[in-house]
Amino acid sequence: MKSRACRPPAMPRDVAPTAGAVQQPLPLAEPAAPRAPRVSGSSATRAERLWFCIRLPNLPLEASRTSNAPTAVVEDQHGLHRILLADPEAQAAGVMPGQAANAALALLPVLQLEERSPPRERQALEELASWAERFSSFVSITGNDALLLEIAGSLRLFGGLRELRQNIASGLEGLGFRAMLAIAPTPLAATWLARSRQRACIRHTDNLAPVLRKLPLACLDWPMALREALGGMGVMNVGDCLRLPREGFTRRFGAEHLLQLDRALGCLPDPQTSWRAPERFCADYEMTEEQTDRELLLNICYELLSSHERFLLARQLGTQHICFSFFHLKGAATELRLGCACAERTAKRWFELLGIRFEQLRLRAPVIAVRLRSGLAQPLQAESESLVFQGKPGSPLRRFSITQLAERLIARIGDQSVQAATMVAEHRPHYAWRSQSLLADGSNQTFDEPARYPQRPLWMLPEPAPLPVDSGYPVHQGCRLQLVDGPERLETGWWDEDGISRDYYTALNPDGMRLWVFRNRTRTPDWYLHGYFG
Amino acid sequence: MSSSLDKLLENPRVWRGREQAGRQAGIATGYAELDRHLPGGGWPSDSLTEVLTTRYGIGELRLLMPALAQLSNEAPRQDFTEPGWIAWVAPPFQPYPPALQQCGIDLSRMLIVRPKETSEILWSAEQALSSGTCAAVLLWPDTLDDQGSRRLQLAAEKGRSWAVAFRPLDARRQPSAAALRLKLQSSAQGMRVDILKSRGGRPAVIPKLL
Repeated sequence: MKSRACRPPAMPRDVAPTAGAVQQPLPLAEPAAPRAPRVSGSSATRAERLWFCIRLPNLPLEASRTSNAPTAVVEDQHGLHRILLADPEAQAAGVMPGQAANAALALLPVLQLEERSPPRERQALEELASWAERFSSFVSITGNDALLLEIAGSLRLFGGLRELRQNIASGLEGLGFRAMLAIAPTPLAATWLARSRQRACIRHTDNLAPVLRKLPLACLDWPMALREALGGMGVMNVGDCLRLPREGFTRRFGAEHLLQLDRALGCLPDPQTSWRAPERFCADYEMTEEQTDRELLLNICYELLSSHERFLLARQLGTQHICFSFFHLKGAATELRLGCACAERTAKRWFELLGIRFEQLRLRAPVIAVRLRSGLAQPLQAESESLVFQGKPGSPLRRFSITQLAERLIARIGDQSVQAATMVAEHRPHYAWRSQSLLADGSNQTFDEPARYPQRPLWMLPEPAPLPVDSGYPVHQGCRLQLVDGPERLETGWWDEDGISRDYYTALNPDGMRLWVFRNRTRTPDWYLHGYFG
Repeated sequence: MSSSLDKLLENPRVWRGREQAGRQAGIATGYAELDRHLPGGGWPSDSLTEVLTTRYGIGELRLLMPALAQLSNEAPRQDFTEPGWIAWVAPPFQPYPPALQQCGIDLSRMLIVRPKETSEILWSAEQALSSGTCAAVLLWPDTLDDQGSRRLQLAAEKGRSWAVAFRPLDARRQPSAAALRLKLQSSAQGMRVDILKSRGGRPAVIPKLL
């Protein structure tokens, strides 16, 4: 067991060897091994690696910021929303991490509260990783708030360490991120130093040990229980840890933590996995001469879609968006964007959607080339086909699913024009429901409360229409209305700016039309028409 | 002998009049008097119904509600595993969800389409009808000519759906391929329903329905 833990890990494919990884650490079983393995700079004959760590302490805040208003991120702690991070503006008003969300709102009513969202943080980190690829060919994401760049190879290009560091720091500032930067010859040391909030810059392995020794254990991502146990023994920093007998330490706390120290000091190799930006499909079809034949263009599109399908099939991926560009000899290309409800790869399905939009597409000039670019690829939700033989041959009905129908409609008349409706628990008539996109998620949550209120009208006006008044009675199209039912008093919403205080009546006009009217309960009662019973 | 007669009757060129239309069961309207006048004992399924009114809001939706509630809650045929959707294409006002729910409509199977251009209304309705997903498609077309109504009728047959087109009263002079045309007139006494055209049935008048 011990000997296995001592063996350096196998190198995966994507590795950057660590500098000075030449000296084996002493075996744990050896009793007389009080000191950590010595690292000699001279033995590192190969080019030294240099790791640049970018740690983003405010990432939860920066990733979820939506406006310029003072913002704070809240996290659910034991059922209570507590402030995790607050921006300087909010802090100036007295909002502190650890405060209850309500307390913070009482201090600063305009405070924008955002729920912490790890997926959003991850996305921000990935975007930052692809940005950082301009500084180094090797970028990796470590933990959930830090990036590691291998910069030894980039120093010449950027004119030295100082310039490179300056470049990265100002770039991060421009992007709106506050970052802790640290440079060290090993990845772990760089990460820990960045966490220690000191502006560390260590170029050689020789200088690493003295700095690391002074590093408090709080900077290491060791479990709290271990740190407390060590603290109780008077072990406060890395140096204290290294002074302890290795064997005893291993027996008490396991081998992993000592191995981490060895990796940080450069005695053990510490391979890192490089981050790769997701792949996208992009293919061109160039023609020898300009074409206007739409049939031919559609065929070309189908060919591109087929190779797109093969590309995605090989990777077991699908995509929700694709974009066709039709290039002309002069002028900008004509673009055609298509969207799909869920990740899709089959050429046939995309071609169907393309057919709907292509009819309407106006090409300014003959086309010389076609390009297909796909959006972000995502894992495909595979569906298993039914084994049961479906339908008789020649059965006339070919049934679409509702998403397919919605996709077809949206492809032609736009996203905003196709909607579903859902109920909201609210007494104000105009807030008692809301429309939602059909493609948002398949589950329409209907608010299933038995209707306790009186019959509502089937037709609703978008805005209540004022009615003229004749001796206290509302008038509709020149005729006095007869109130047949009511009043139903709705007095609610006082807690926001849109409160109402109304008496609703069912009214009948001489033609027998039933109207839903209300009177504002203000000093000068006004009558309004709000709907038809239809 | 009988087999050759069957063969003859299966020939689409043989028109079998009332019997043919009566064979297809309609969707119960929820109003016994109206059911009595309609062939098939209800709204003609798989085809186009036209409702002509002087204006919208006089009770034309109430007339349909029992049938729509029924469609919204039960699978119409054996080959459907679940009830179909109800699509509203270009409604003149907002169909108010709380009221629809009170009438028994399942809101999670309701689709509201508001095309920006009038030419898209017919296209959207045709797509919804022929998709086979919608049990009923209600539409408020700006204009609907003979050819348009034929397209809707064919789409309804293809998707086995019930199309209801709401139109102004002066459209009654235009020819239409609809299986059923109703004229609604509202007065203080109640609503008068005129059956102007009924495939397989007879024109009739119901002086007071609602």
